[in-house]
Amino acid sequence: MSEVASNHYLEGLLKTYSQHSSDVTPWLSQMRNEAVDRVGELKIPTKRDEEWRFTDISSLTDIPFQTAQTIPQLQPADIKHHYIQEAATRLVFVDGHYASALSTINNDSGIIAGNLSMLLPSYSAKIAPHLGQHVSYGDNIFAALNTAFLHDGVVIIVPQNISVSSPIQLLFIATQKEVTSHPRCLIIAEPGSNVTVVEDYIAGQEVAYVTNAVTEISVADNAHVNHIRLQRDSNQAFHIANCTATLAHASNFQSINVALGARISRLNLNVQLASEGAECAVNGLALIKKRQLADTHTFIDHIKPHGTSRQLHKCIVDGAAHAVFNGKIMVQPNAQQTDSSQTSRNLLLTGQAQVNTKPQLEIFADDVKCAHGATVGQLDPEEIFYLKSRGLSEQAARNLLTYAFGAEIIERIPVISLKNQLEQAVLEYTQSTES
Amino acid sequence: MSVALQNLVNQPYKHGFVTEIESEIAPKGLNEDTIRLISFKKNEPEWLLAFRLKAYNKWLSMTEPQWQNVKHPKIDFQEISYYAAPKPKEKLASMDEVDPELLRTFDKLGVPMHERAALAGVAVDVVFDSVSVATTYKEKLAEVGIIFCSISEAVQNHPELIQKYLGTVVPVGDNFYAALNSAVFTDGSFCYIPKGVKCPMDLSTYFRINTEGSGQFERTLIIAEEGASVSYLEGCTAPRFDTNQLHAAVVELIALDNADIKYSTVQNWYAGDENGVGGIYNFVTKRGLAKGVNSRISWTQVETGSAITWKYPSCILRGDNSVGEFYSVAVTNNFQQADTGTKMVHIGKNTRSTIVSKGISAGHSNSSYRGLVRVGPTADGARNYSQCDSMLIGDQCGAHTFPYIQVQNHSAKVEHEASTSKIGEDQLFYFSQRGIDAEEAVSMIINGFCKDVFQQLPMEFAVEATNLLSFKLEGSVG
Repeated sequence: MSEVASNHYLEGLLKTYSQHSSDVTPWLSQMRNEAVDRVGELKIPTKRDEEWRFTDISSLTDIPFQTAQTIPQLQPADIKHHYIQEAATRLVFVDGHYASALSTINNDSGIIAGNLSMLLPSYSAKIAPHLGQHVSYGDNIFAALNTAFLHDGVVIIVPQNISVSSPIQLLFIATQKEVTSHPRCLIIAEPGSNVTVVEDYIAGQEVAYVTNAVTEISVADNAHVNHIRLQRDSNQAFHIANCTATLAHASNFQSINVALGARISRLNLNVQLASEGAECAVNGLALIKKRQLADTHTFIDHIKPHGTSRQLHKCIVDGAAHAVFNGKIMVQPNAQQTDSSQTSRNLLLTGQAQVNTKPQLEIFADDVKCAHGATVGQLDPEEIFYLKSRGLSEQAARNLLTYAFGAEIIERIPVISLKNQLEQAVLEYTQSTES
Repeated sequence: MSVALQNLVNQPYKHGFVTEIESEIAPKGLNEDTIRLISFKKNEPEWLLAFRLKAYNKWLSMTEPQWQNVKHPKIDFQEISYYAAPKPKEKLASMDEVDPELLRTFDKLGVPMHERAALAGVAVDVVFDSVSVATTYKEKLAEVGIIFCSISEAVQNHPELIQKYLGTVVPVGDNFYAALNSAVFTDGSFCYIPKGVKCPMDLSTYFRINTEGSGQFERTLIIAEEGASVSYLEGCTAPRFDTNQLHAAVVELIALDNADIKYSTVQNWYAGDENGVGGIYNFVTKRGLAKGVNSRISWTQVETGSAITWKYPSCILRGDNSVGEFYSVAVTNNFQQADTGTKMVHIGKNTRSTIVSKGISAGHSNSSYRGLVRVGPTADGARNYSQCDSMLIGDQCGAHTFPYIQVQNHSAKVEHEASTSKIGEDQLFYFSQRGIDAEEAVSMIINGFCKDVFQQLPMEFAVEATNLLSFKLEGSVG
């Protein structure tokens, strides 16, 4: 991509910026102004940047994506089928704007949930130490853009020792063509709390749009957060997401990321084990076909001793799709007794499918247990033969094995209705494969 | 780490001495005239000069690579003397005529040539500061039609082979250091195994960098014709110097149908002192082309020396059913930095590759494994297995793994595994309970850790490597 195109594109984006800088808290407007300045200094990455080597997003600049000017009035009936039955609290955003009529907030359990502009006046003291503090944009143009356009977002605060039994659903619906939305989520789990959050991105219609999301999660001492991220955007859409979780003493973070949609998707997931004894499990599944590209970059940073991390990332690639995985695990110099393992498994279903995987270890401490592994392959002919010997057709055997490959991740989702929904999606995917 | 053990780790470099032989040194700096001078001194044909100049022009347009995980002050390429040769002497017919001082140098290094040649049946092509001084066993090899000589000799006697193959595996503009080497290489080894010949002995060269301030630009070319097979050994030690010396070698291997090349290296160049001062910069491009069907290229390396090691012996698996192998042990101590690994590029059908890499870091050193496994769309049934293990000794060092896996063919099967470990207290306790002291226990554990690689080395190298490792790391654990 030429520099001119990139700058032109960014300028176009920033044009709409001023419309949102209404009177807000001074620290927030300062943060946004800094981000705007940073956007001015940065460029859209190209394949020449190591971090974007396999993901060409130059087509992003072909369309002048703007933030939505008008918001369609959706009826609950239109989106009801996307609801998770178990969820007592549900926040719905349409094209990046909060739709209060569609949202349900249940405060019985003691949680504080809502959109940023509503909660900011009363909870500024709780929000300020976290908002924009976990995802540092640095050279990351997309995180900077999101921060520049930060006018609203999700805030969930789980107070000390509160355990929320039902999951919280965050639903982001894109309905308009050639529109950019910048969803923002902030999840603050205070000491000893326990919460499950489902972040769900869906398409209202099959058109091209851009989702540029940022999620920040703070897991305080002894807190437990289950975070499920579902990306079901339109097959013409771009989905770019930056997600950072910061883990305090003896906290636990369970993350499951499923990518089904988007023409080009990119997830940067950052987990900082910032205090002793933190634990995390990061699971990922990319299920793609045709000309889709799914790129997942994860970074698990063991900063303090006695941390544990487990990672399993799977890609199923059909058609001429392309999956990219870059998993970096860092063990900092004093993070002794770290126990970390990472596995990247990739299934190629056709001759045109492509995988680039790079599991990466950087270790600066000697008393650690670290292992990683990666495999790329097709379905095992012996396994197919075994199933055929049991009377299954070739196609049925292949579908069953592909399904089982993906189900390993889906099964880890702690929300039953969502698990069933996704299992169905994997099943449909296997039945539509081209092989 | 106990004091006694510290002392052992910090043993001074035992091969540090300078042999005083009169050298003929070209003035410092690099320009077209330097290249013409090298070419003229070596009495080279016109096409080789053109090759050098083309590489030089490419080099001018290139910049030093920045992606590797090593740090060093910027190299001033105009401060290097690109040609140093012992004063021309009459041609030697036998070993007895070799300069006794030179022979003593090898004695000090523990490689008496007569002994080594006689006992191990190894033909040693001694490269001493870029010019081949003596070659043994040449006649015996000539009987079966094998050409084993210095590359400058090959340029004079077999120009057609050099012209046909030089730069075909590592093109002149391949990378910054390869381009530099192509422009200024002074000497190196050339080996040609004719059709159907199994080389009757292991071939060996002994590299040594002498003359402070002169970088060495070795060029090695090995060609195995159809059905031929050869095992080639390269071993290095260097005297102690305080200014950094640049070493940018290029090694090219070509294996035709059913041919088999095994290339083994033990590298123990001066690594700098315990404060990271001095030491060799070892920036090497090594690549093998498995061109024919069923051909095989195998790299084995034991990297213990050099302040900075930057090398990726690679295999281009073009022939159907060809095999690529890479076995590596990289040991870093004090302030050494190693960024090493391999590239396996699968192009032909049913190609197979194996990567076994063991990294040991101690002191303040950093060692990285950087590897690429690429399976192209045409490589049906390709198979790769990679294993890279690291061991950290002490909490000031670092181990890094950067494996790139790129697969464009669904019938391929690629597996990668990596682990990190340390020498456990319980392991040491077990040894001491059996009456084995900590020193020996560590040596045994490390040798066990590297066993998979040492097994691939020819016998006498395996012995040398085992000793070298114990010597490098003795007492780093306590």
